Amino acid sequence: MPHHLFKCSECIPERKKHAVIKGEGEDLTSCLPLGYLNTIPGTISERGCAFCGAKHVIGTPMKDVIHLCHGPVGCTYDTWQTKRYLSDNDNFQFKYTFATDMKEKDIVFGAEKLLRQSIMEAFEAFPEIKRMSIYQTCASALIGDDINAVVKDIMAEMPEVDIFVCNSPGFAGPSQSGGHHVINIAWVNQKVGTYEPEIKSDYVINYVGEYNIQGDQEVMLDYFQRMGIQVLSTFTGNGSYDDLRGMHRAHLNVLECARSAEYICNELRVRYGTPRMDIDGFGFKPLSESLLKVGYFFGLEEKAQKVIDEEVARWKPELDWYARRLKGVKVCLWPGGSKLWHWANVIHEEMGVEVVSVYTKFGHQGDMEKGIARCGEGALAIDDPNELEGIEAIKKLKPDVIFTGVRPGEVAKKMRVQYLNAHAYHNGPYKGFEGWVRFARDIYNAVYSPIHQLSGLDISKDEISADKGFMTRQMISDVKIDTEEAALSEERPYTGDYDCVTKLRGKEYPLLEKSPSAN
Amino acid sequence: MRSLPPNVIKEVNQFMTFKLKKKERNSIINPIFTCQPAGAQYASIGMDECIGIVHGGQGCVMFVRLLFAQHFKDNFLLASSSLHEDSAVMGGMHRVEQAVDVLLMRYPEVKVVPIISTCSTEIIGDDIDGVARKLNNGLLKEKYAEREVHLIPIHTPSFKGSMIYGYDTAVKDFITYFAELGEPNGKINLITGWVNPGDVTALKHLLKEMDVDATVIFEIETFDSPLMPDGEAVSHGSTTIEDLKSTANAMGTIALNRYEGGQAARYLEKKFEVPAVIGPTPIGIRNTDTFLENVRRMTGKPIPQSLVRERGIAIDALTDLVHMFFADKKVAIYGNPDLVIGLAEFCLDLEMKPVLLMIGDENLEYLKDQRIKDLQEKVEDIDIIQNADFWVLENKIKNEEIELDLIMGHSKGRFISIDYDIPMLRVGFPVYDRAGYYRHPVMGYSGATWLAEEMANVLFTDMEYKKNKEWILNVW
Repeated sequence: MPHHLFKCSECIPERKKHAVIKGEGEDLTSCLPLGYLNTIPGTISERGCAFCGAKHVIGTPMKDVIHLCHGPVGCTYDTWQTKRYLSDNDNFQFKYTFATDMKEKDIVFGAEKLLRQSIMEAFEAFPEIKRMSIYQTCASALIGDDINAVVKDIMAEMPEVDIFVCNSPGFAGPSQSGGHHVINIAWVNQKVGTYEPEIKSDYVINYVGEYNIQGDQEVMLDYFQRMGIQVLSTFTGNGSYDDLRGMHRAHLNVLECARSAEYICNELRVRYGTPRMDIDGFGFKPLSESLLKVGYFFGLEEKAQKVIDEEVARWKPELDWYARRLKGVKVCLWPGGSKLWHWANVIHEEMGVEVVSVYTKFGHQGDMEKGIARCGEGALAIDDPNELEGIEAIKKLKPDVIFTGVRPGEVAKKMRVQYLNAHAYHNGPYKGFEGWVRFARDIYNAVYSPIHQLSGLDISKDEISADKGFMTRQMISDVKIDTEEAALSEERPYTGDYDCVTKLRGKEYPLLEKSPSAN
Repeated sequence: MRSLPPNVIKEVNQFMTFKLKKKERNSIINPIFTCQPAGAQYASIGMDECIGIVHGGQGCVMFVRLLFAQHFKDNFLLASSSLHEDSAVMGGMHRVEQAVDVLLMRYPEVKVVPIISTCSTEIIGDDIDGVARKLNNGLLKEKYAEREVHLIPIHTPSFKGSMIYGYDTAVKDFITYFAELGEPNGKINLITGWVNPGDVTALKHLLKEMDVDATVIFEIETFDSPLMPDGEAVSHGSTTIEDLKSTANAMGTIALNRYEGGQAARYLEKKFEVPAVIGPTPIGIRNTDTFLENVRRMTGKPIPQSLVRERGIAIDALTDLVHMFFADKKVAIYGNPDLVIGLAEFCLDLEMKPVLLMIGDENLEYLKDQRIKDLQEKVEDIDIIQNADFWVLENKIKNEEIELDLIMGHSKGRFISIDYDIPMLRVGFPVYDRAGYYRHPVMGYSGATWLAEEMANVLFTDMEYKKNKEWILNVW
């Protein structure tokens, strides 16, 4: 068995089954780590809680909604302004956050009255917003407040408002993943089918498991709409509450992040017979295949091909410029859940980087299965990593760059390893053809940073070359490429704008129309 | 759960001489503060050879660590007991026991382990004092007999107080645990409150000029850590067990922030007769003067010429700005109570008009705070609101109840500044949307200079951006 026991974890041998090194000729039957089990206390794991999985990851990207937490203020404060999910309504959902601010007397006597008051106060403060999502926390769950009952009463009194309740306290599961599941099922149970959406096309999809990080959703929407497809709803990035109540009317559920949102697709398939199609917005090849796949479903493959051709012609020379210079760069792919398999193979294929390790904070065995299958031999896969194991892995593998979160990224920084934010991105979006070039550009800018190079110099003992006033990234990166060949190619570095998303808003899509005969 | 001792409540009743406004709603729209455990965690990272265990859901640690990383752009160590569903139902004491064991096994340098409670574990009634006793008599004796380990239970139920009270409580609990009578150490205790590394540097500089030896609690200059060629540096506080032990033997304690360390200073005074001076927060010239005077009285050391000169440099910088640019500028300030009060006082000396002060929590102690009383009674058109949230500020701006020239506060309020086009100086905690602010002091003379010059630069940038008499800066 290729299980890997970290030195720092020898005293907790149960960790052995959570890490594997994919050996020569080995397949998944022999090298699949355990996953999604309770965390060992005190390990300094990277995991969050089920509340944040529900509220922070999936709930709050919904844009036209008052997001209210029923609990002490910390849960609200902590999940406010720590992500980059945009919306085209001036980011209402991340500018405003609401808490019932439960105090000691509420804990003792119950806080349902406070909850009712808070709901009223929130609607009063924002009279134009008629939709609300309420999130249970550890405290409100433990004292047994019946949020559903309060909401039922209020919705009866105020027919113009609609309120969603998510009962996913922080302790409900080993990680944020527990909350993903709860909110998926809660939405389909409570809200899907309660609203009839306007159908504008013969080709209607829900775009599911997409959170509009730095504009990802808006980029993908542009492609779909150029194909003549109506995106009825997005679950949930930049998504609208009422559109999501109308999910049952789509012809197809196009699923991006399966880890966080496959549950709702599966339920919609069972309840409404809507097929699920898994796609991938990252990377030229997976994205092209995904658009074609959606195209084939509707008979729109020619339109899909047209979009692909236009985009590839525009951006491929720029991707190739970076790929030529990123070849052999060693990467630890340490995201939260599904990016480990979304990215594992394609960054190797299209940018030439070597994935030396994958980890997942809240992924399940299924994510590891896909991730490990897409890694090369020798890759180290870790489930529920902790601080010391991460450090040990960095020392052992000596990666050039790590794709992970802010905090582990700071650990890497101190160890002189560059990091890119895998959750919120550096300068995204990273989805779409242009986005993929931006990702390559960000990796390149990190790895070949002149300052990064200087960080390794110990002026007390190393030789200081006094003949240089500066270095450019290219002076560092191009020593290992064939510059003559590169000069002959059409490759060029990124030429897009700093903000490539805002201009997509308000764009017209002439293809988007419904045939008179269609229902 | 502990509550305020009865004598404190009596004191409050006795001195309750004025009223303080609260926000009119019960709920919160955009909070200014987070909850108690975050404060205890901020205190914990200030201690050397210490990793705190937060007994609660994983988010209670993960997000607080993220908050620290947002502010300092560095990583800090804190562990979780990872409360899952079974423990929420059956009790989670065994999770703490396991967490302590795992932490001690894997971090051989750790000697101090605060066990920090949260809302969930206070509600289910997990007895963290009991678990500490059990571990002391069991695991630590059996498995770690050769090792110095201190378990410090810290009760921080999230539904009481705020991050401020959590910090205050943790400082008191650390000192209560360690302070130990011995030979007089000839030092003073300087309890800084929830400050930045830049403040500690500034304060230590003042004390050095005064030739005064101090135990700084917490010694967090090292939060600003380097990126070294060997890749081995980490960000962590450096207050030692010995430092805390010897607090009982100091010639006095100065707690700069009444609500962030005041409890600890009072404890040392009561238990070990270490005289305590609580406040004022040395923000601005006047409060820094008072601080130095307090140090002088406590130690008998004179204020040296070097500080007269340093003060002069600050006064010189302020004189260039005050009556020309600051006079009558209306400012709203929010954040930690001592910070807000200190900044408001400084603004008044700068001829500005603090029109709105917002404190994110509610505390009976505020009602016997002479500084707040003075501000309320002696300053015209000032609104002081406790238990405030950002909606109080935004609403007032939106409804044109106030006009502001400047906002001062932490980054969570950034969108008010952005959306209503009001210049804002980031100050306090957390500041994540400006680079390197933790490195700069707001305390001491250098802090006064930095604050005033940054205020000016923020106003200047705004004048240029709005083309509002930007030409005035051609010559001044």
